[in-house]
Amino acid sequence: MTETTIDTTQPPVRDARQVADFKPSLILGEHSLCPGCGEPVALRVLLEVLQELDIVQRTIGVVGHGCYGSFVRIMDVDVLQCLHGRAPSCATGIKRVRPGVAVFTLQGDGDMANEGLQEVLHAAARGENITCVMLNNGVFGDTGGQQTATTVLGQRTKTSIDGRDPAAHGYPIPVADLIAGLRGVGYVARGAVSTAGAVLQTKRMLRRAFETQLAGGGFSLVEILTMCPTGWFVPTVEGPSYQQDTMEQTYRLGELVTG
Amino acid sequence: MTLQLLEGSAAIAEAAIAAGCRFFAGYPMSPFTGLLEHMSRRLSEAGGVCLNAESEIEGVNMTLGAAAAGTRAATGSCGQGIALMQEAIAEAALNETPFVVFNLARNQQDYFQATRGGGWGDYRTITLAPKDIPEAVEHTQLLFHLADKHRAPVMLYGDPLLAQTRVGVDIQHRDFGELPPKDWALDGTGGGTGRSRQVWTWAMGKATDPGPGPDGHWRAIAEKFDRIGELEARHEQSDVDDAETVVVSFGSAAKFVEHVVAELRAEGHRIGWFRPITLWPFPGDALAAATRTAQRVLVFELNAGQMVDDVRIHAHDRRAVRFVGGVSIAESGLSYGPLLDAPVIRRRILEAL
Amino acid sequence: MEREVLVTGIGGQGIQLLAKTLALAATQEGRYAMLAADYGGEMRGGPSKAGVVIGDAPLRALPILPSAWSAIFAHHRHAEGVEERLRTGALVLANTPLVDPDAFRDDLRVFAVDAVAVARRVEAPGASGFVLLGAYNALTGLVGAPALVSAMEELLPPYRRQHAAANARALEAGAEALQGVSA
Repeated sequence: MTETTIDTTQPPVRDARQVADFKPSLILGEHSLCPGCGEPVALRVLLEVLQELDIVQRTIGVVGHGCYGSFVRIMDVDVLQCLHGRAPSCATGIKRVRPGVAVFTLQGDGDMANEGLQEVLHAAARGENITCVMLNNGVFGDTGGQQTATTVLGQRTKTSIDGRDPAAHGYPIPVADLIAGLRGVGYVARGAVSTAGAVLQTKRMLRRAFETQLAGGGFSLVEILTMCPTGWFVPTVEGPSYQQDTMEQTYRLGELVTG
Repeated sequence: MTLQLLEGSAAIAEAAIAAGCRFFAGYPMSPFTGLLEHMSRRLSEAGGVCLNAESEIEGVNMTLGAAAAGTRAATGSCGQGIALMQEAIAEAALNETPFVVFNLARNQQDYFQATRGGGWGDYRTITLAPKDIPEAVEHTQLLFHLADKHRAPVMLYGDPLLAQTRVGVDIQHRDFGELPPKDWALDGTGGGTGRSRQVWTWAMGKATDPGPGPDGHWRAIAEKFDRIGELEARHEQSDVDDAETVVVSFGSAAKFVEHVVAELRAEGHRIGWFRPITLWPFPGDALAAATRTAQRVLVFELNAGQMVDDVRIHAHDRRAVRFVGGVSIAESGLSYGPLLDAPVIRRRILEAL
Repeated sequence: MEREVLVTGIGGQGIQLLAKTLALAATQEGRYAMLAADYGGEMRGGPSKAGVVIGDAPLRALPILPSAWSAIFAHHRHAEGVEERLRTGALVLANTPLVDPDAFRDDLRVFAVDAVAVARRVEAPGASGFVLLGAYNALTGLVGAPALVSAMEELLPPYRRQHAAANARALEAGAEALQGVSA
């Protein structure tokens, strides 16, 4: 073994680089979402997974409506931007006529759990070989912060200003758990992007979801809890810890179905 | 030529398959159900996919997805189900995704729905209204061609008589001419090239290659529909040159009107008929020319008066226009009532003379 | 030249099947046919009507026939409105005794057959509809008798194939019942 000596009296040969510098080439530009938003982190690991699986040139994404809708401009992947809630149906049509292409949806909780709950349930029950990704921040961020079907109890939103109260607003829907109970699903997991470790776990979940699709293993869903300090009325820097204290106490992280 | 005795739904299904339709998704509702069932039996034999969607909204969005991926695709329902599909039809008009929508309606009460659209934004829907099954077979194939030619969703307006009557038909593949390649279609290969494709109503393009955005894109689409309006209007007419009375009707009803007007002509009345084949674009210029000498322009349709609005806009003399149709529904609610009958129509027209 | 036949009866008499058989036979012979059906929801006893048109060119006939060249009356019930659509001199085949052959307009040419009795005689008790069809076709010669048999066989669903021979006997017996009688 050769000895390596670093002359610590001299500056390093090249500048230190930040994690952000390693962004995948599939990201074509800056996102315009709030500081502290978890969605760009989720996008990044999703695109990294496509690259690692070497399926970038046989992938079609179906993107719904929400803050993440603007990702269509910065993701270098063939994309259908579709109607609110309908992505699993569009993805079904695409996959059925192009079965050799990896098809995924990118939807928020408002998109998937509100407008499109029946779409995703039916696609899952049908066992469509698609990968649905739900960015769950428990709020309709893009329209200013209203309650969704996944808003946690006690969370303040513009339509539950004193906090979600079950007597008035019912209970949040755990989408991943609902899907996990259906036959026809091959992989279901819930991750988060509130800590570095959670981000890595989520990336692994996405990878397994796509692998399930590529192997024809049935429907896959990854629900990703993402910070929305703006929608939650919390200071930016408190986003991750607030998520751990609220969303992550309501929705259990981990793999729910592994096929 | 080999004739097959087929009910209209089956004939339409075979025509769609002959036209290269390889994806169909729909939800059962009378009288559209037969078309879904025929496609369900036949499409996989032809190498395609037919899905019984769990709802009309899911069905039309599946079709939109398949079409965005470059496949000739279709969906359908009757008017009540088409009502649920309005958002997606508008979406497809504005993100330029071609597919065919079969409205096998229960009657003629969905004319406004087809021509005014209940979706969002500025768009139009090319709509063909066949008068009988042989024409429906031709129109079905033509619609797949027009959808691809203009990159837009298009519609066939049918009814229970079309769907459920059986006639001997010969279904041959018809070629309507060359079409541009679908290089806009999503096939998954664009990733990582910097030129990945988008199907997006807002057409904003990529950060590295911006698109026209909603303003430029929706204006271009409006101009496109203006051009389609000038190109694709179709109609049929007879005995209008010296007519004192012209009867205007569409779809199945027009075949009855043709029959009655021929009788009345033979009895000495100076009467003719005009039939819009395209409900949109409405053949307004042709109608104006056809009603030049008419003192009476009688509009016969099985509804409370919908196409009559377009007739009033375009007839040579709008004061000559009179509505002689009406709402007439069978006891079952699922088809036409007693008004769609030649002797009844004859009386209606004579009363107006 | 287009020939129309209106068929009227009640559910269970095989009205739809006989009309479909006639239309399919004509189609198999390369002619143009149309079949319009009108029936309610009940499987038995409700109204059952059909209209068949046969011609040698693409048909101009309307799916709801304003007038007809001929008719088959299988039952007196639910037959309202059919006679008035028959043109002067139209041919009528009446299924006696369910239909009274003397109760028609004077200008109509009425022929009668007891289809149920004929069907029983040839041990095809459920095939009175085919007796009527065989008789009608013998009167009018609209299609070839073999075409009726092959159309009948094509239309039988798998769970009714065992009736093919009986149905063929019924068709033949119907034709023989009116042998020597021509329209």
